[in-house]
Amino acid sequence: MTSALLQVTDLQTRFHTPEGIVHAVNGISFHINEGETVAIVGESGCGKSVSMMSLLKLIPTPPGEISSGTAIYRGTDLLQKSEREMEDIRGKDIAMIFQDPMTSLNPVLTLGRQLTESMREHLGFTKEQAEERAVQMLEQVGIPDARRRINEYPHQFSGGMRQRVMIAMALSCAPSLLIADEPTTALDVTIQAQIVELVARIRESLHMAIIWITHDLGVVAGMADRVIVMYAGFIVEEADVNDLYDSPGHPYTLALLAALPRIDRRRDHHLKSIAGSPPNLLVAPHGCPFAPRCEFVIEKCRQENPPLIQIEKNHSSACWVDVKTGAPR
Amino acid sequence: MQSSTKITEPKNQWTARLLEFWRVFNKNRMGVIGLGMIGTLVIIAIFAPLIAPYDSSSTESAQIGDIYNPPSAAHLLGTDDAGQDILSNFIFGTRVSLIVGTFAAFISIIIGGTLGLIAGFNGGRTDNLIMRFTDIMLVIPDLPLIVVLVALTKPSLLNIIIVVGLLGWTTTARVVRSQTLAVKSRKFVLRARGIGAGNRHIISHHILPLVMPILVVQAVLVVSNAVLTESTLAFLGLGDPSALSWGQMLNYAFGRGAMSIGAWWALAVPGIGIVWVVLGLTLLGQGLEQVLNPRLETHHLTPGRPVVQNERDEFGSGKSADEKSGNILLDVQNLSVNYVADGRPPARAVENVSFTLKEGELMGLVGESGCGKTTLMLSLLRLLPSAGQIVNGKVFFKEKDLTALNEEELNIVRWSGISIIFQGAMNALNPVRTVGDQISEAIIRHLPDFPRDKRLDERVIELLDLVGIASDQKENFPHQYSGGMRQRAMIAMALACNPQVVIADEPTTALDVMIQAQILELLDDLRKKLGLAIIFVTHDLGVVAEICDKVLVMYGGVTAEYADVDTVYNEPRHPYTQELIKAFPDLTKPKKKLTSIPGYPPRLDALPAGCRFAPRCPAVFDRCHIEQPPLHKLGDMHFASCHLVEGSK
Repeated sequence: MTSALLQVTDLQTRFHTPEGIVHAVNGISFHINEGETVAIVGESGCGKSVSMMSLLKLIPTPPGEISSGTAIYRGTDLLQKSEREMEDIRGKDIAMIFQDPMTSLNPVLTLGRQLTESMREHLGFTKEQAEERAVQMLEQVGIPDARRRINEYPHQFSGGMRQRVMIAMALSCAPSLLIADEPTTALDVTIQAQIVELVARIRESLHMAIIWITHDLGVVAGMADRVIVMYAGFIVEEADVNDLYDSPGHPYTLALLAALPRIDRRRDHHLKSIAGSPPNLLVAPHGCPFAPRCEFVIEKCRQENPPLIQIEKNHSSACWVDVKTGAPR
Repeated sequence: MQSSTKITEPKNQWTARLLEFWRVFNKNRMGVIGLGMIGTLVIIAIFAPLIAPYDSSSTESAQIGDIYNPPSAAHLLGTDDAGQDILSNFIFGTRVSLIVGTFAAFISIIIGGTLGLIAGFNGGRTDNLIMRFTDIMLVIPDLPLIVVLVALTKPSLLNIIIVVGLLGWTTTARVVRSQTLAVKSRKFVLRARGIGAGNRHIISHHILPLVMPILVVQAVLVVSNAVLTESTLAFLGLGDPSALSWGQMLNYAFGRGAMSIGAWWALAVPGIGIVWVVLGLTLLGQGLEQVLNPRLETHHLTPGRPVVQNERDEFGSGKSADEKSGNILLDVQNLSVNYVADGRPPARAVENVSFTLKEGELMGLVGESGCGKTTLMLSLLRLLPSAGQIVNGKVFFKEKDLTALNEEELNIVRWSGISIIFQGAMNALNPVRTVGDQISEAIIRHLPDFPRDKRLDERVIELLDLVGIASDQKENFPHQYSGGMRQRAMIAMALACNPQVVIADEPTTALDVMIQAQILELLDDLRKKLGLAIIFVTHDLGVVAEICDKVLVMYGGVTAEYADVDTVYNEPRHPYTQELIKAFPDLTKPKKKLTSIPGYPPRLDALPAGCRFAPRCPAVFDRCHIEQPPLHKLGDMHFASCHLVEGSK
């Protein structure tokens, strides 16, 4: 696994709105290897989803604009491809699962029709072949009585079941990269665990790379290889999952970890939130975007945005301060 | 709630679908009447030559005495100005009217549907162009234009069809466009794009099926409109002289002295025909609308009133322990709620749930979706939808039984005694009014005597301050607030009338972790400051671990475990609670795999016999499938409903 499956360099996405330019993604670079699972973590509005949608060119333009960057997937740049070429890639090479299974299914079409759609589009299956495979896929994601249930409508399925259907749909063409955009956020904890387990199992059998977008560090703890933390359209930390949990290198990651509710902790060690909310992306970034909420802030932070620098092997952080000692780097 | 009668044999899928269609349609009495009314007319039109007692084009010259004869045995509906049988004319006129209506509507629907679809889907300049054109067409008065056009061309049936059809598409275009716009922005269109679908595929497979129902309903209305327009034209003398339509009949009768002679039948019969068509089509349209949307199918619930019956007290011993200390605000005893659906067994959404809540206490109500949490909370204030009935139990709020109060007395308790922050409430703010304005409205709504001067303003600022919103944000609109701030504003609203109990129904579910932590801190803080008792409803045991005093775990509508928080986390006794705790990600061991509970919660209208958790329980044994375990008392403040804990302490 020396060459990356997807290498994103300096991706920048903006939205031109009546209020001004929204700087949604500000020059991020990362890679993902074949079969690897990377989690992208951050609060709502930090640019997680926008950056992923940019890769698939699903950003509505206008008002959106991918103003710079490359995304080399298997030797070619996704961002240079035409809409037609992207249609061939979406769903077949790179599949996406969306956040809300309740609204991502068309309510007036049977599951069968929606499941067979991509196979007929990409693999040229006949109706019967596609239906046969759809039943297989549904069984694979653990939906009992699949042959009967493909004739049912989305409202006849619970949230967890629908997310399973979404996964079956995304996997039907055996993509080499799956982008999962908060697939468990709207689900119950128990179902959430089921979905994580399911995706982990399928990943092994298909040898598929996964980008898992979430705001909840806890959910991905057990399955990701690497974690990328985003804030205000920047990558602020990138590390192997164990390093990130054991020795977070950015104040924002620390804050995210502290905000997670914990079962093993009670009032003696109270959960902590950081005040304020993510910065207004309408204002062109100046200095470190996290500085106004940061407890380690020093003067330099307000002047200059720290670059992502390596602090350990496979561990980078964009901070002027060493959070372990509190001293400037 | 899918129907058990659903037939899904692939072989006769179409028959099954048709049957299903009829089954649902049949429920809408108005639709069936409309279908009957229109069906009758269609049959009359088709078999006109067989039904009509006289040939309409009879050339035998009329006698003077035949003109405007009142209804008689020979002429059931009388005769007209030419001595012809009105019944026969009416029957043949049905043909003309329906043909014109149908074909003109067909043209309108094709044009309007296509333009609407193109405008809605493409948006931008195309949309602008098409819609401005539509606006112009709408501004031009229809009827005069049609009159002019028909008068210019030869007034033949074909010309009338074309003119009416070409001018009747505007509303269809607008309706289809707005539906397309709405559908286009839905998630599944993005999802379809995500799998590589092109525009054509998206329109034909995703948008059209959702526009279709509206188009069909619209078509029905356009037909009735076209029938009306044709009648008007004919009445004005612009009809095809060779085709006797209802309008033509009116024209002749009106123009040739039927009024002055008092021959009401010559006017009434075609008039009734027109009313009949328009009414029938409108009813039919309504019925179709109901059927064509598969989601409406589930909404056939029978309305009912809250029924409160006997009382039992299995729970008395647990209560007395509580009563010793603190002031009990809320005491719920053996509450059961059913949802009654048409022709189906009642869904037992809540069964025999009891709990107490003291001043300043924070209780977590935990369970998966569909386990009855929200139903339980709504039933406390009797806010259930009409199908929900309280079938047993009592709810004491400060010693008053809420299940026995009338609506008026309840309204006093609602909000000023117990207030609810609903799930997803932060999206319930009105976007065009300032947040401060909406909070003051909440105050006045519930405290009508509140002085409407500076004091109201001060109260709003005070409330905002309580939830940590700076007072200068008062005049801002909801879209200027972040999700977390909106949720704070909703909490401020819930506190407007100084309630003693606040029910927070999944207040953090849609928010991300950082804001969730902020809201939890806020609630904890408010409870200390104001002595509020809070019920925190959540599906996430982890969220409540840090702030709750006690936890009620529900499963399938019953209490699985009820205990103080330390007991729940340290020695859970119900297998469900144990599994829930295991399902929570443990950050201290990141590489540990999450354990999930296999399977799904039971459907409340198809509960398993015996213990409701039995099908998913890792510790299940024979007895669990047969006998429903009662709630066992395990300690002063620890209850669990599992056969395994029987006899133990």
